[in-house]
Amino acid sequence: MAKSSSVSKFKQDNKTAYLLLAPIVILLTIFVVVPFFYALVVSFYDWSFYQESKFVGFRNYYLVLTDDLFLESVWTGLKFALMVVPSMLVLSFLFASVVKNLSPRFSGFVKTSVYIPTIISGIVASVIFVFIYDYTAGLANYILGWFGVEPIAWLADVRTALPSIAVPAVWLGFGLTSLIMLSGLHDIPESYYEAAELEGAGTWAKMRHITIPLMRNVILYLLVTGFTAQISQFELSLVMTNGGPLSETVTPNLYILNHFRNDVMVGNSIAASLLLFVVLGSISAIIFRVLNSEKAIDG
Amino acid sequence: MQKQKGKKLKSLTVMSSALLTLSLAATACGGSNGGGNASPSASDTGSAPASASASASPSASAPASESAAPAEKVTVDFWAQKFEDTTDAWFKKYVDAYNKSQNNVQIKLTIVPGDAWDQKMKAAQAAGKAPEIRTINYGNIANAAKTGQIQALDGLMDPTAFDDLYDNVKAFVSVGGKYYAYPKLVEPSAVMYYRKDLFEAAGLDPEKPPTTWAELLEDAKKLTKKGVFGLSIAQNAPDLGWSSWGLQYNAAGHLALTDDWSKADINNDGYKALYKFYQDAYQSGAMPKQQLAGYADIKGFGEGKVAIQICGSWAMGQLRNSYKDIVGKVGIAPMASIDGDQTKPTATLGGWTLAVDGKAKHPQEAAGFIQYLLAGDPAIMIDFFKTAQFSKFSPRKSVDEAMKSDPDASKDQWRALIAEKIIPYAKGEPLYPWDVALAVSTGIESAMKGTSVDKAIAKAEKDVNDFIAKNKLAGTNPQA
Repeated sequence: MAKSSSVSKFKQDNKTAYLLLAPIVILLTIFVVVPFFYALVVSFYDWSFYQESKFVGFRNYYLVLTDDLFLESVWTGLKFALMVVPSMLVLSFLFASVVKNLSPRFSGFVKTSVYIPTIISGIVASVIFVFIYDYTAGLANYILGWFGVEPIAWLADVRTALPSIAVPAVWLGFGLTSLIMLSGLHDIPESYYEAAELEGAGTWAKMRHITIPLMRNVILYLLVTGFTAQISQFELSLVMTNGGPLSETVTPNLYILNHFRNDVMVGNSIAASLLLFVVLGSISAIIFRVLNSEKAIDG
Repeated sequence: MQKQKGKKLKSLTVMSSALLTLSLAATACGGSNGGGNASPSASDTGSAPASASASASPSASAPASESAAPAEKVTVDFWAQKFEDTTDAWFKKYVDAYNKSQNNVQIKLTIVPGDAWDQKMKAAQAAGKAPEIRTINYGNIANAAKTGQIQALDGLMDPTAFDDLYDNVKAFVSVGGKYYAYPKLVEPSAVMYYRKDLFEAAGLDPEKPPTTWAELLEDAKKLTKKGVFGLSIAQNAPDLGWSSWGLQYNAAGHLALTDDWSKADINNDGYKALYKFYQDAYQSGAMPKQQLAGYADIKGFGEGKVAIQICGSWAMGQLRNSYKDIVGKVGIAPMASIDGDQTKPTATLGGWTLAVDGKAKHPQEAAGFIQYLLAGDPAIMIDFFKTAQFSKFSPRKSVDEAMKSDPDASKDQWRALIAEKIIPYAKGEPLYPWDVALAVSTGIESAMKGTSVDKAIAKAEKDVNDFIAKNKLAGTNPQA
């Protein structure tokens, strides 16, 4: 009696599990799996909406891979991510460390205000920063004017354009990163620090030997999502520079969007998207490799 | 007790997840069905209930039985790109008038912002929900016709409508001997706007604007003062891509490809002079290092920060509508020419047309509306040119003829100057792919930013030739 009931319960559990999994599996199938394989198929065709599609084999991939601009755009995306992600991590780590020690009421206020940029859309942020970088009337050049510095062509100069776009990206991502960092910091048991203090460890030693190692998983998560998000960034350069000066700020997604908008056939943009998928996948894999994820010693 | 609680909880989750699945599936279906009508709210023209119910069910008949609209009334979607507010209002006004004037066709106007146009159109085309009537500019007609995105209007419209067009404009809208779009307007891409008062202050004759590139650069330098730049002209590749076509004709006598599109034709003295002109202009310090606004926007000039601005004829409308206080101090002239010969082209004629989608279900009805709006009563078009402050020009002889008797139009001197001194010499826009234009203009921008002219041209030439080879462009010129 007892046995049979436990067996039926086991089955019952399975059913429930499948049922609970169903929504996400169905959604993933509709919105991820099917489109992905469809894209894979279409990438081998000269695809247009008004004529018969023509099978062209790897031609679309060949066109993308031999296009200097595509390789350049991947490099631009990498440079951009290298500017944005580390500075964002360092800044938010410092910020979170400060906020952790604030009184609960005040820290609530600070957390809310630092989160505000996160809910601002990238387009709005771009427009705000376009005003800031305006050549004659922008805030940035106005402040430089106090020190008698000549106005800088922030968005038109080959040297300053990409860093200028990186600033709003940091600003936009800072809030969320800080909050994740903060929750990571709160997860580290106080007893570790107390023990270390008894052993005579200073602030620096505590950070090096306790905080940073225990934050490894949080940092890994932020690195992977940060790199993926920043390399795929395109609305900032779309609005602020339209990829210029020259092609200095054409990120991979902007390259794809430009082809999608201008090309008569769509195959090229799809091949480029799939190649970008490969690029992003490899970068995430490399990060995982380097920063081996481990379970924290203390759950 | 605990067990029971657990069970209850479980069945609750099961139920809720089942519900969730169901609702998600339902919304997913709804989404794909309603995709074409993604944003009808943007510009429903007032007759909301009737048009909504009619548009939702041209093929599926279930909801139609509920609607009171007469069954045979056809709804035709019309997407217009967003232009000046006055243009949007003009579209709305005459769509309403047309809908009221007859009982067979309901035109449903949607105004789509320019930067969303391509994505929205591509998505609609992929879903088979493209609007039956759309705006399209001259440069895109040939490609759209070749790929079947738009269909020929011969046979759908009254043939005499096309006889009314100026000959050069006829060429802009025809591909392979057929007309694929009906033009609404032409506008030259380059006109020189200058501040007469600043000319005087700098010791220059305000009645003698520069006529050669050398004079233009010289005057620009003299006009540059603290807070005022002498010259503003396109300075980044996307803007240069189209705004330099007129000057390419001016300097070289042709555009960037040979007639059969087999190779680039830019490694010559004409193009070198053009690259040099832009390079000198940018590096002289008379131009802002970062553009104050895009080429198509005369904001910097309007705000008094620029003494000479090159911009399209449309800027007349912007000046008269938004910067009324400086209009009295503004002079206009044809853009300076390489050697001072003002009968050489300095501008291309851009402009907009309406076309019927290649898969339109009601081509006859769609073309009927185009006939009414653009090719019918000249008064409709005159109303448009008036609201645009005569900054755009008619492709139709009969409209120009009727405009002669219009008091406002006939006494407008700016209009007269552009109509007499710029448009007759202006050329059509090239039909080759935008990538070619962009490669040439990226070369110009790199010359402005310090690359030597020879290097910049060599790079652009290589890029264009690579593009031709990869995309098998040779021999595909639809007008060769």
